Amino acid sequence: MNSPAPSPDAGLRPIIEAREVDKRFGSFHALKKVSAVFYEGQVTAIVGPSGSGKSTFLRTLNRLETHDSGEIVIDGIVLNDDLKNLDAIRREVGMVFQSFNLFTHLTILRNITLAPMRVRKMERAAAEQKARTLLERVGLLSQADKYPVQLSGGQQQRVAIARALAMDPKVLLFDEPTSALDPEMVNEVLAVMRELAYSGITMLVVTHEMGFAREVADRIIFFDDGVILEDTTPEVFFTQAEHERARAFLSQVRHGF
Amino acid sequence: MNWATRHPGWAMFAAMAGLLAFLWGLAIPLAAAPEPIGPAAEQFADGARITVWLTLVAGSSGIVIGILAGVGKLSRFWPLRRICDAYVWLIRGTPLLLQILFVWLAAPSILPEDIVLSDFACAAIALALNVGAYNTECVRAGILAVPWGQVEAARALGLTPVQTFMDVVLPQSMRVALPALANNLASLVKDSSLAYAISVVELTMVGYRVQAESYQPIPVFVTTAVIYLILTTAFTTLTAALEAQLNTGQKR
Repeated sequence: MNSPAPSPDAGLRPIIEAREVDKRFGSFHALKKVSAVFYEGQVTAIVGPSGSGKSTFLRTLNRLETHDSGEIVIDGIVLNDDLKNLDAIRREVGMVFQSFNLFTHLTILRNITLAPMRVRKMERAAAEQKARTLLERVGLLSQADKYPVQLSGGQQQRVAIARALAMDPKVLLFDEPTSALDPEMVNEVLAVMRELAYSGITMLVVTHEMGFAREVADRIIFFDDGVILEDTTPEVFFTQAEHERARAFLSQVRHGF
Repeated sequence: MNWATRHPGWAMFAAMAGLLAFLWGLAIPLAAAPEPIGPAAEQFADGARITVWLTLVAGSSGIVIGILAGVGKLSRFWPLRRICDAYVWLIRGTPLLLQILFVWLAAPSILPEDIVLSDFACAAIALALNVGAYNTECVRAGILAVPWGQVEAARALGLTPVQTFMDVVLPQSMRVALPALANNLASLVKDSSLAYAISVVELTMVGYRVQAESYQPIPVFVTTAVIYLILTTAFTTLTAALEAQLNTGQKR
């Protein structure tokens, strides 16, 4: 796993390229010309203090936030106002949210089958078959006919992961997937994510779980004040971070792992 | 109501079957009633059917209008927003009776000559426009109550804006809007009586005619009122059951 990830000459294919991405919310400069390339199969943990821009950056990658300037290319497709491009990208990029965002009016099974049936025009029977397989993978097959509100937070997040996987994305974005969970539910979600990471899918994970980042990620990106301060391997980041700001951040969160 | 909320499917079925049975069986018990009700049993049954038909036609069109105008009011395209605002402002600010009279009397001079609207159609149009304006606000509130995260999740999964609206936002907004929409429908059952002003022979008109012939207002209007009560009860049961059905995702 822990190869020196950021090197582009390792024979890895770039799947996300962000060049000088800039974003402001009013007077707040959230992203300051952020550039980064992510490679196929790579698991990247994006860490940093609150308000540092890490979630905003993740959300620009499937245009839940629009960027003001710069360029984002996903699997060869330029992310811009062209709806065709956007739809193509969103089919390839799955997202898991901090607050799960399961469709509250649909059963667990329907939550997972909705997008494959609507977007990929899959037959109901095939979509349900696939949904059941995915539910089994996240250990929730027995909950298929329940509604989201009947599940615990950890279970809901595992369903959300299954829902994202149902579209066969090339990339999965995780926006603080365990931050809204009770402590005893964090591990069940991390276990699913760990299994995914080893399956070879490209993952970008905004997280505060340093133990998880260190164990599972190939690469750590440290955001501070709208810029990427560190972009390195977990070993380097956790033992000899270059910037004082990163070392201070680590000492703040050290109790977490 | 408890039984109805626990078995919404059955309650809806029962309310609908009950309503149909009532509308087509009403004349039988009424015919056995003493003067002046008995001889007018068929008239009462016809009137009740017209009232229900008017309510259903205007009510369902009104829901479509309410959804369209409710979405329009939230549109990013400002002329559409203004048009929907103006519509709601105009309808809510003028009396329903005036609206009914306007459609009835003004439509022939506005429409091309080969389109002739029946009295019933005029009443249905006016009532639909009226209830639609009130529905607009309910729908808008319902849509605003859907958390933004639901939209983001749907968009992130690749659903188009239209799919997101139809599959995620609209069903969830209905859960919030339905009690208010049901309220409007219950009002509509009664508001449809104003159609008597343009000679639609609905329930109130029947009552008015029967008492005019018999000079016995008390039994006639009591009968009319009881029929209205049974109709509104059926509609309320129906919508309460529908509400329970839509609430399934909220139950713990």
